[in-house]
Amino acid sequence: MSLYHFCQWLSQTPLSIWLREAPYPFPVFLIAHILAIAVFGGMVAMGNLRVLGKALREVPVSEVIGQFRAWKWVGFAILLVSGLFVAMSDPMEYYDNIMFWISMGVLVLAGVNAAIFRYGIYRSVASWDTAAVAPPSARRWAGISIVLWIALILSGRATAFF
Amino acid sequence: MEHAILLLARPEAIPVNPIARWEWVFPVIETLHVLGFTLLVGTVVILDLRLLGWRLHKQPVSRVARDLSPWIWTGIIVQLITGPYLFSGDPFEYVQVTAFRVKMTLLLVALIFHFTAIRAATAPARDMQPLGWRRLAAVVSVGLWVSVVLGGMWIGNL
Repeated sequence: MSLYHFCQWLSQTPLSIWLREAPYPFPVFLIAHILAIAVFGGMVAMGNLRVLGKALREVPVSEVIGQFRAWKWVGFAILLVSGLFVAMSDPMEYYDNIMFWISMGVLVLAGVNAAIFRYGIYRSVASWDTAAVAPPSARRWAGISIVLWIALILSGRATAFF
Repeated sequence: MEHAILLLARPEAIPVNPIARWEWVFPVIETLHVLGFTLLVGTVVILDLRLLGWRLHKQPVSRVARDLSPWIWTGIIVQLITGPYLFSGDPFEYVQVTAFRVKMTLLLVALIFHFTAIRAATAPARDMQPLGWRRLAAVVSVGLWVSVVLGGMWIGNL
């Protein structure tokens, strides 16, 4: 079954029809999606800015990143579930939307980037935890992370306009 | 003078404002507005979590407030540029919309609350004191800023 046929099948499922036709689910999931960006996006930004030495310089890196890790995962789960429900409200529409696929591509890149940071340079955080500015390789991943998250918000917002 | 009369009669007829002239300008500015509130609200929420004593509790409140302040200001400035510019696209329409009036009221209250109550709550002199009433201020702050975002979504009809 191709992706096209899968989306066709998906759009006929009771869940998709409910999301599309009932008055409340769609706005509720969209509101959850945008509020989650507002509340949790700042935590991602601050973690990266701390590594770059642009915010919370006197706070250890592991404290800024570690203390908000659980919160960021909660935010990410809300974003993922609400985004999935928004997309499932009209699978054929999103199948045809280039911005939707760009945002999904950026999401994967952001995930890969976070994993490279977490299981690479971040393992040695103890040796640069209290430095106002992290080592160059850590700063590189943090910089890429900020760019990818901005690109994710841009392409996600653009999905609604295309 | 001619423009002033045109503005009163038919604001969209003013040819000089790009947002009223090209349809791609609005989505671009609106997206910058989304990036701006992510920075502003996200940063304020981190400060509020510190005031609640839930996160960064090893750090003095005033230090967290001082370190986040430039980013809160950056967010406010981005919003105060992009917001009025979005408004300029159709000012006479916006002032009549209930959602717009509600959001502006909430925004004003949120800003005043931030620069009075939250500023007082994060003063260095209070660092050694128990959090007490400042926890309540943090809850009010989160509530106000979330309602400002909701008000914004209401203006755009989501």
